[in-house]
Amino acid sequence: MNDADVSKQIQQMVQFIRQEAEEKANEISVSAEEEFNIEKLQLVEADKKKIRQEYERKERQVEIRKKIEYSMQLNASRIKVLQAQDDVISSMKEAASKELLNVSHHRHLNLLSHHHHEYRNLLKDLIVQCLLRLKEPSVLLRCRKDDLHLVEHVLDSSAQEYAEKANVDPPEIIVDNQVYLPPGPSHHNSHDLYCSGGVVLASRDGKIVCENTLDARLDVVFRKKLPEIRKQLFGQVVV
Amino acid sequence: MDPFKGQGGIQMLLIAEQEAQHIVSNAKDEAEREATEYRSHIEEEYQKSISENTGSSGSNVKRLEEETNAKIKNLKKSTSKVSSEVVDMLLKYVTNIKT
Repeated sequence: MNDADVSKQIQQMVQFIRQEAEEKANEISVSAEEEFNIEKLQLVEADKKKIRQEYERKERQVEIRKKIEYSMQLNASRIKVLQAQDDVISSMKEAASKELLNVSHHRHLNLLSHHHHEYRNLLKDLIVQCLLRLKEPSVLLRCRKDDLHLVEHVLDSSAQEYAEKANVDPPEIIVDNQVYLPPGPSHHNSHDLYCSGGVVLASRDGKIVCENTLDARLDVVFRKKLPEIRKQLFGQVVV
Repeated sequence: MDPFKGQGGIQMLLIAEQEAQHIVSNAKDEAEREATEYRSHIEEEYQKSISENTGSSGSNVKRLEEETNAKIKNLKKSTSKVSSEVVDMLLKYVTNIKT
């Protein structure tokens, strides 16, 4: 084999190696491209999944917050309606309280008027009821200064009626001339203590007290009849 | 004959390897860029839905307020019809004394 053949053969071998290298380089390049795509796809998908989860969580939180806010608004709305109901009920009591003054307001009325007569009888019944509750032989009585003459007018008949009903001797009724129940409410001192009428009786030692003022009776009746009042006022109202 | 002439193939392979490494390491940057684009797209959608929701919840609040006021108005109207009966009933119990 001469030099030319050897050189040619070497040349072929070099060419072959170079071709192999090129193919290998191509393979590396293609493989790198594939790896790049796979790696990138995996990373992108993983990131996208994280992002989606994050925003799903955010949206759930927004949804929950919306529901909470709406629930709070609904609650506030219900409270507003209930408050309005309470206001209506309170106004009923206020109206009744004002009407009580008409029951006992006799300052400018004729002593013999029908209205005056009615209130006098009412005072008598209130005293008798207190006496029946106290069942004491001697009692103290307090009334408004305005009502003093009316009370004195019915004292004996009240004691007599009680004695008949309880089957006892007529009790001694001592009217307190030092301390009176407060007068009816006026526009000037609407926040002061007031009494719309009626009486307060107590045992001599002051241990047992029977409060039979019109205001006290209204309080008791109002508390007792509250469910009935609610039904009467709101029975037909859908809340 | 140049003894380094055959080095070209090896050099080629080395360069190919380096480029391959560079390509693969670029995958992370590319993925981050795509993920960032995706995030901004999702954020945009999210903000859009939030502003739409805010509008609708605002109208819900207004509707609820109107309903509440209507209820209270009806309440006052219907109770005013029976208020005098209630007051009379209270007064009757206050002034009717059972002895």
